[in-house]
Amino acid sequence: MSLSRIARRPRAGLLGCIHQQLFLNPSSLPGGADTRPMSRVPYRRPGEPKDNRPPWKRIKFDFAKGVEGVGRQMMLLKKELLDPLVGPEGKPMLEHMLEQNRVVWEFRGPECLEQWSVSSDREIGGQSEAYLKLGRNDNTCLLYGSLNAAPPRDGETRYSGYCTLRSKQRLCSFDRKTHFDWTSFNTLHLRVRGDGRPWMINLAPENYFSHQKDDIYSYFLYTRGGPYWQDVKIPFSKFFLGHRGRIQDDQHHLWLDKINTIGFTLGDKVDGPFQLEIDFIGVCKDYAHTEEFAYEKYKRNPEV
Amino acid sequence: MKCARCLLRLQGLGSVVPSARPANRYAYLLQSTTGPVLTKPLVAFNSHGEASRHFHGSSAWAKSSPPPSDLKEKEKEIDKSLLSRDELFERVARDAKTKAAFDKAIEAFTKRDRRRRGHVEFIYAALQKMVEFGVERDLAVYNRLLDVFPKEVFVPRNFIQRMFNHYPRQQECAVQLLEQMENHGIMPNVDTKVLLVQTFGEKSHPMRKYQRLMYWFPRFKHVNPFPVPRLLPSDPVDLARLGLTRIANDLDAKVTVYQMPYTDITETGEEITLPHIVGTQSPDQVELLAKHDPSRPVFVEGPFPLWLRNVCVYYYVLRADPLPPGEKVEEPYDPERSLYYPLQLSLELERDMGDLGDAFDVEDLDEGPVFAMCMTGQGDQATLNQWISGLQEGNAVLGRVPTLFRLDAGPRELQSPAGESHRPHPPPETDPWVPGDEGGAGAARQEVDVTLEEEPQHSRGVKQ
Repeated sequence: MSLSRIARRPRAGLLGCIHQQLFLNPSSLPGGADTRPMSRVPYRRPGEPKDNRPPWKRIKFDFAKGVEGVGRQMMLLKKELLDPLVGPEGKPMLEHMLEQNRVVWEFRGPECLEQWSVSSDREIGGQSEAYLKLGRNDNTCLLYGSLNAAPPRDGETRYSGYCTLRSKQRLCSFDRKTHFDWTSFNTLHLRVRGDGRPWMINLAPENYFSHQKDDIYSYFLYTRGGPYWQDVKIPFSKFFLGHRGRIQDDQHHLWLDKINTIGFTLGDKVDGPFQLEIDFIGVCKDYAHTEEFAYEKYKRNPEV
Repeated sequence: MKCARCLLRLQGLGSVVPSARPANRYAYLLQSTTGPVLTKPLVAFNSHGEASRHFHGSSAWAKSSPPPSDLKEKEKEIDKSLLSRDELFERVARDAKTKAAFDKAIEAFTKRDRRRRGHVEFIYAALQKMVEFGVERDLAVYNRLLDVFPKEVFVPRNFIQRMFNHYPRQQECAVQLLEQMENHGIMPNVDTKVLLVQTFGEKSHPMRKYQRLMYWFPRFKHVNPFPVPRLLPSDPVDLARLGLTRIANDLDAKVTVYQMPYTDITETGEEITLPHIVGTQSPDQVELLAKHDPSRPVFVEGPFPLWLRNVCVYYYVLRADPLPPGEKVEEPYDPERSLYYPLQLSLELERDMGDLGDAFDVEDLDEGPVFAMCMTGQGDQATLNQWISGLQEGNAVLGRVPTLFRLDAGPRELQSPAGESHRPHPPPETDPWVPGDEGGAGAARQEVDVTLEEEPQHSRGVKQ
C-alpha cells in the first residue's frame, strides 16, 4: 500500500519528466487517435448500462446442456480423426485435387439456418429490421426486412441503415476454429434472387495480427430483381480490402487458404423493405480467368 | 471589426511600453480609434488598412482594463454573429431554398470577413444544410464551399509542420466535405484539386482523400451489370416499362401497354380512376404458354417488389406449377425451325481425366415456367383480369385454362408447392413488413387479402 503511494508521488528532476510523459493523455495525441486496445470488451451501445459483473458470475451452468455438448464434441472429434483416413477434407485425394466446383452453403433445412447470423443497425439503436427464414420449398433462404436510414440519436453515430447476413465461424471439435480452404478455386458463384437493391459480399479471412481482426474483402452484388434466378460469378481477384468499412490504401489480393466467414450486407441509404433469396453459394475454378488482382498494389507517398 | 483593430493597436503600444500597468491611463485611447494618438505607427499595416498578424504583444494588460460602454456594445454585436453558424442559411431560407440562395449565403460569409473567422463551423453547417437546399449533388457548390477556406494559410512551410498534422481542425473539415461528396457519389474535378493544393498543400489529408476518390471512383463507376438511370421517369407507364424490360431477362421481350391511366367522370358525377396496365412477354414465354396443358391451372401471383434506385414498383407474375417429374416430356427439336444452324448438337467430346465439368452438385430448382409479368397501378383482381384478357389476344390457350389469383401482401417467395394451390393461403407468421410503410413513388397498392377464384371463361371478354 505504502509502496504504491510512493510510486504515485511525482518525482522531481529528469525522472519526473519521464513519469509525466508516461501518463500522457491519449486524447492529446495528434489527430485524436484511438489508443484503446482492440482486444477489449465488445461494443457497448451508448446509453446501455455497463456490465460490471465479475467474470466468474458471467458463466451459466446447465447440466443437460453440458452432457449434450460433450456428445456433440465427441462426434465432431470422431469425424475429424476419421476424415484424414479417406483423404484431405474427407474426400479422396484425386477428387480433392481435381475438384472444379464445390457447393459451400446450401439451404436444405432449418439446421442450415443455424449457420447464419442476421444483424441490423438495431444493435446501435437504429430502426431497421432484418429476419431470415427458409424459402417455401425448403430449398432456399429468404432474408427480408426493412431499412431505416435515420441515425440513432446518441450524439456520435452519423450514418445508419444497414443489415447483414453473416455466416457463423465454423467450429470443429471443442469449439476450435476451422477455416475454408479455397486455394484450388478462383471464383465465387452464387444463385440469388433479389429485388433490385445493391448488396455487398464480404469475405473475412483468418489473420495473424489482432489489428487485422476487422479486415474484410468485399465486392458488390447487384441484383436485377424479377422472378428469374440470377447467377452471379465473382472472381476472387476482384475483392478489395477494407477495414471497418473503410477501403484501405494498401491493397492486397485475398488469401484463399483460410477463409472464415462470408457475409451479405445492404446499406444503400434508401428506406424501405428489402428481400434477398439465396439458393446456394459455391466456389468454382474458372480456367479462363487468369487475373491475380484487379487493383494496384500500394505505392507509399504517391505523387499528386 | 473596429474593436479588433483597436486592440491590435494597443498591443503595439504594449510592446513599446513593457511595464504592464493597467491601461487606465490609456483608456482615452480606446475612445478614439481613428485619432492620431501615436506619433509613429508601431504596428505594420498592409494595403487594406488592417493590422497584419502579430502575436508577440501580450493582450493581458488590454484585458485587465474594464472595457468602456461603447466597446461593450460592439462586443455584443460581434457575439451575436458568433452564436450560430447556420443563422446565415436560415436568413436566406426565408425566401426560397434554391441553389442561388445557397450561393448567396456563401457569398455573404466570404464577403463579410477577409480572414473568414469561424469558417470551419460555417462549412460544417453548410454541409448539413445542403440537402435542404437540394444542392448535395452539385460539384460547383462543393468547390465554392472549398473556396471559403483562406488560401495559403494552412499550407505547411517546413517538414516539422508537415509531420505534425498542420491545422488539424481545418484538415478534418475538408475531409468531411470530401466524404460528403463521396457519400453522394460525386466525382471531384480539377478545380477541387487546385483548391485543395492552394489551401492545404500537396501532402495533406484532404489531398490524400481526394487521391483516394480519384482512384476508386472510376474503378467502381461501371461495375453494375444492370445499371439504373440516375433520372428515373416520373410517368408511371414509363417507369413500368423500364422495370419490366429489366426483369424480363430477355432482349426479345415485348412490352405492351394494355391500358393507360385516366380518370373518367360518370353521369352521376363519380370519378373512376383507371390505373395503367403494362405487361411484358417474350417469345420463349409465348411458346411455353402454348405448350401448357389446359387442364392445369395458371396462377397470377403478386405483388413482388422491384427497387429502381430509390423507387419501389410492384409487379405481378403469371406462372404455372412445375410438372411432376413423371410427366415431363422432352420434345425433340424440330430441325426445320432453324435452317442456318443446328439447334441441337450431339458431339462426342471426351472429357479429360478429372474434368468433372461445370455443373454444381445442387439439385436444379424447378419452379415452373413464368409466362408473363405486368405492372399496374392498382393490384386488385379486376385490373389483373383485364391484363389476362389482354394477354389472351396473343395466347389463345388462356381462354381455356383456369386462372387462380394469389394476391398477398408481404414479402413472398415466388413459388409454392403444387399441393397448396387449392387450400386457402395461410398468412405469413412473422411479417414485419407493413404495406403502409413502403417508400417511394411506387404504385398505389390496395391491400388484398387471400383470394382464390376460378374463372374458366375468359373468352367472354371482361373489358369495360
